[in-house]
Amino acid sequence: MKKALALALAVLMLLTAASFAVAEEGQTLTVVAWDAETTPYLAAQKEAFEASHPGVTIEYVDVASQDYAVKASTMLSGGDTSDVFMVKEITDLLNWQEAGYEEPLNSYIESSSYDLSGFAGIESNYAVDGEQYALPFRSDFWVLYYNKDLFDAAGVDYPTNDMTWEQYAELAKKMTSDGVYGTHYHTWLSAVVNWDVCDGQNTLIDGDYSDLAYFYQLYQDLEDAGACMSYDELKSAGLHYSAAFENGNIAMMPMGYWFVSTLIGAINDGTCNFNWGIVSVPHKEDVAAGSSFGNLTGAMINAKSENKDLAWEYISWLAGEEGSLATASTGTRPAWVSETVAEAMASAEGFPTDDASKAALVPVYVGIEMPASEHSSEISTALNEEHTLIMTRENTIEEGIEAMNERVAEILG
Amino acid sequence: MTEQSRIQYKRNKTRYERKKELIAYSFLAPNFIGFAVFTLLPVLFSIFLSFVKWKGGAFNTMQWVGLGNYAEIFKTAKVAEKGLGYLFTKVDLGIALKNTVFYTLVTVPLTLVCAMALAIALNKAVKGAVGFRTVFFFPYVASMVAICVCWRFMMMKDGPINQMIMAMGINYNKSWTADSVMAIWSIILVSVWRNMGYYMVIYLAALQGVPTDLYEAATMDGANKWQQFTHVTLPQLRPTTFFASTMMIISCFKIYDVVAIMTEGGPGRSTKMLVTYIYDEAFSNFNYGIASAIAMVLLVIVLIFTLAQFSMEGKYANN
Repeated sequence: MKKALALALAVLMLLTAASFAVAEEGQTLTVVAWDAETTPYLAAQKEAFEASHPGVTIEYVDVASQDYAVKASTMLSGGDTSDVFMVKEITDLLNWQEAGYEEPLNSYIESSSYDLSGFAGIESNYAVDGEQYALPFRSDFWVLYYNKDLFDAAGVDYPTNDMTWEQYAELAKKMTSDGVYGTHYHTWLSAVVNWDVCDGQNTLIDGDYSDLAYFYQLYQDLEDAGACMSYDELKSAGLHYSAAFENGNIAMMPMGYWFVSTLIGAINDGTCNFNWGIVSVPHKEDVAAGSSFGNLTGAMINAKSENKDLAWEYISWLAGEEGSLATASTGTRPAWVSETVAEAMASAEGFPTDDASKAALVPVYVGIEMPASEHSSEISTALNEEHTLIMTRENTIEEGIEAMNERVAEILG
Repeated sequence: MTEQSRIQYKRNKTRYERKKELIAYSFLAPNFIGFAVFTLLPVLFSIFLSFVKWKGGAFNTMQWVGLGNYAEIFKTAKVAEKGLGYLFTKVDLGIALKNTVFYTLVTVPLTLVCAMALAIALNKAVKGAVGFRTVFFFPYVASMVAICVCWRFMMMKDGPINQMIMAMGINYNKSWTADSVMAIWSIILVSVWRNMGYYMVIYLAALQGVPTDLYEAATMDGANKWQQFTHVTLPQLRPTTFFASTMMIISCFKIYDVVAIMTEGGPGRSTKMLVTYIYDEAFSNFNYGIASAIAMVLLVIVLIFTLAQFSMEGKYANN
């Protein structure tokens, strides 16, 4: 009996050793990402990269989306040697750069004569003092989603790419009926007032928030008219925007471009079933139609990685045309948009086929949601706290904005 | 047993005891080592961190700022200029401190009163007492997240609790967690509801230890039920109350989970607590130095309470 056990253990050990030997033949690149299991573009990128780089395996380290900043920072500060980290927020990039977690990329860019022109300048948001620390592979900007079936049923014309905010509010009220909400605002500050940065002048870190009043007023009018669910309700029920829109009783919803792939996925797996489209977000009278704001998603090389050259090969591929095509194939908007890529985006399976949706893919201008600065995260905390007070009507819009101005002035010193 | 054998026995016992002691220490050692590595060192490191500016990462990026972090969290320059009122209305630390102290001052007595009342009610041979004890203890073992999410639903606009309030003729229809005044009460309510079962069990155990002859004597002296309660039960429960309040004050100052799930510190800063503030600074803003300085403020407060309670122990902990 004992002999048999010993033999079995020996065989097991040999097998383990053998499997290690096999694994060592190819190279493995570990990439820390969020929601790797459920994000279609990550699967598409992995497949395309592995196909064009035989012998290399991409291994995702999966972190829940809402915990990403904390978890990734903890990993980095603990000396984790994963090769590549995805960058979710520009503020994270800045914090990590300051802490020395990021491999500077200028020397790689020079030695491989990497062409940055496809990014049309947005990559500069990932540079600190002229040194590039990450490459963007995805650039989400906000669009207006709408449920075509609801508009058809109500006999109302679809939203257009050049609506003003007033026209939008009117449309939302028109579409509101028993059980149907004309529009939907998620609880974030960005969903309600970030439109202010679409003019290319204002930013959320400049310390003057008086312009936000327009958008808070617009929201409160819609809430009072019953054209959208109340903030209070959404917050206590913890309702996610995707569940809300997929429910099929919301006519319009401004949301980031990332929701396209979620929505296509939800329709494919039968979670919901209706026709939809996108148009550019509405604009103020004095701002060009087709302006929006957005965020960048990128990838950086961990300064502690032992496969830096391979990691560079990966992130430069990811951000370049080939990677962008893979990203676009799942309905996600890459940061690098050439004509080939734009065509690929529109032909993604499940993407609406109408011309307006296609035209909405290329915005005129994309402001940065929250620019990186030394104080971005502190400002963001203060603004969000005051935002909750305005949204719950604990403060009037004027009081709230005054408090924002006052608190940010204090942070800026 | 002769005198000699008694001495021999004693000596043997001593040697045996010494051996036993060694064994005991060897069992304790892992715990002590664990304490040193996982508790003592981090605490010392945290004290050190409160004097440096550090965003995490390589140790050589630390910058010694002395008391700079403390000046920063107390906003000393501004407070000196504008007075203490400014600290408690505008400064994050002052607001967090005010909220935490208010939460503690309400939660601790309320929980103790509820727990004691439950214990006294269920100490009698009421029908189904065991069942009730289990029911009241249940929240303590249930998942905190699940509890908080359920309560958030119950206290939402048009939720069951507001319906009851409206039925009583009070016109209030807003989510408790979205109301600057009620948000902290929602947290107090959940904390009391959750913890009273645990302290009820402790009080039940203490009540079993109250000698019945004290009640007999009191009855013979003509004491009514209320007098029996104030003159027999309450004094007999004093050591337990002392223990329970000590434990609770300390845990109340460290409140985090309920706030994080129910209100995220909001609306505004109305439920910002010391620990949620530490969390924000450390893991949203990555100011480890600032976060450690706030942690030191918390440490000092808890230490003061602990020392005060230790010094009163002789007076209150024994009969």
